[in-house]
Amino acid sequence: MIFREVEDRDLIAKARRGNVEAYNLLVSRWEKRVFNYLLRLIGHREDALDISQETFLKAYQNLPKLDDPDRFSGWLFRIAHNEAFSLLRRRRPETELAEEPRPADINARMLPIELSLAVEGALKVLSDDQREAVLLKVYQGFKFDEMAEILGCPVSTVKTRLYTALDLLKATLAPAVLKKEVVRGEL
Amino acid sequence: MTCKLQDARPDWKAYALGELDAAKRREAEVHAAACAGCQEELAAMRVTIDALATLRDEEVPRRIAFVSDKVFEPKWWQMFLRPSFAAGAVVAAAILVHAFVRPPASADAAAIEGRVAAGVQQKVAEEVDRRVAAQLSVAVQQAVTKAVADTQKLDDQRTAQLLNAAERRYSESAEILNKQVTQIYAMNTGAGVR
Repeated sequence: MIFREVEDRDLIAKARRGNVEAYNLLVSRWEKRVFNYLLRLIGHREDALDISQETFLKAYQNLPKLDDPDRFSGWLFRIAHNEAFSLLRRRRPETELAEEPRPADINARMLPIELSLAVEGALKVLSDDQREAVLLKVYQGFKFDEMAEILGCPVSTVKTRLYTALDLLKATLAPAVLKKEVVRGEL
Repeated sequence: MTCKLQDARPDWKAYALGELDAAKRREAEVHAAACAGCQEELAAMRVTIDALATLRDEEVPRRIAFVSDKVFEPKWWQMFLRPSFAAGAVVAAAILVHAFVRPPASADAAAIEGRVAAGVQQKVAEEVDRRVAAQLSVAVQQAVTKAVADTQKLDDQRTAQLLNAAERRYSESAEILNKQVTQIYAMNTGAGVR
């Protein structure tokens, strides 16, 4: 992980000096994570692709403004977050009229694909803010303070959104599993 | 089942998400070992997070455009922001400013430049006049010579014609006179009259 961060910093320095290949390598390295974050946040493949493109374009144009190359990932996701919520705000009127998504029923004998579909359904029930908190923490592995920087809000707000989301997800995803198993000695 | 610590119980979400430091983790684990309510809560949180983890990342359907692609080309106005272009613009601006604000040349220098320009212009005009006059003179001389020759030729022809005509009329008059004299003599002498 440390080696990877050093490499990113080196690539950023080269890209700032006009090395095109260095930035192309950064794109290759981060595009999958950014795309999946946007896909799960927005729920639309083409929009996620377009915003991924916009994110990397803006990152390239603003690379000289990046104060600390070690914080590239958070800075990049901050751009992606801004772009995504700009889109979500634009299209909110039509989504509010749409029917609320319902989480799928969960049981302990679900196949992996069924469980994945159930998770997708459960994530869709969350608000955009709650879902984004889960995506940044569970799928992208950011720390609370990094999430606060990306989202532009206090750590306490981040924790509130995340914990509320986890309680909702737990209520949907955990009961059936827990009924089948007596969980002891987990620690 | 509930924990007797109530609100003071460990933050199991932070624990499951790896946000607790080592000391707090150890403290939470000691408590959970003797608390069925907290064990249940932690288990539910782990199940939830494990379920979330079953969602796999998707491959990007098509690659994100690279810097070398068209979409990354800077807009025309962004060219002005490039350091090299900006430096060139500054140099060009400095040259222009210098051209407009430089001190004027001295009056003496201007007068000398004026006299030199006038002298050169005069010399050029004189030379042009001289060459034009020379060429005109030759042409006029040739034209006059030709005109005189032509006129002389016409006069000679006219003179010759007049002389011939006079000689012819004189000959005819003389012949008529001779005939008349002959007739008069014959009438007076009767000779040769029938």
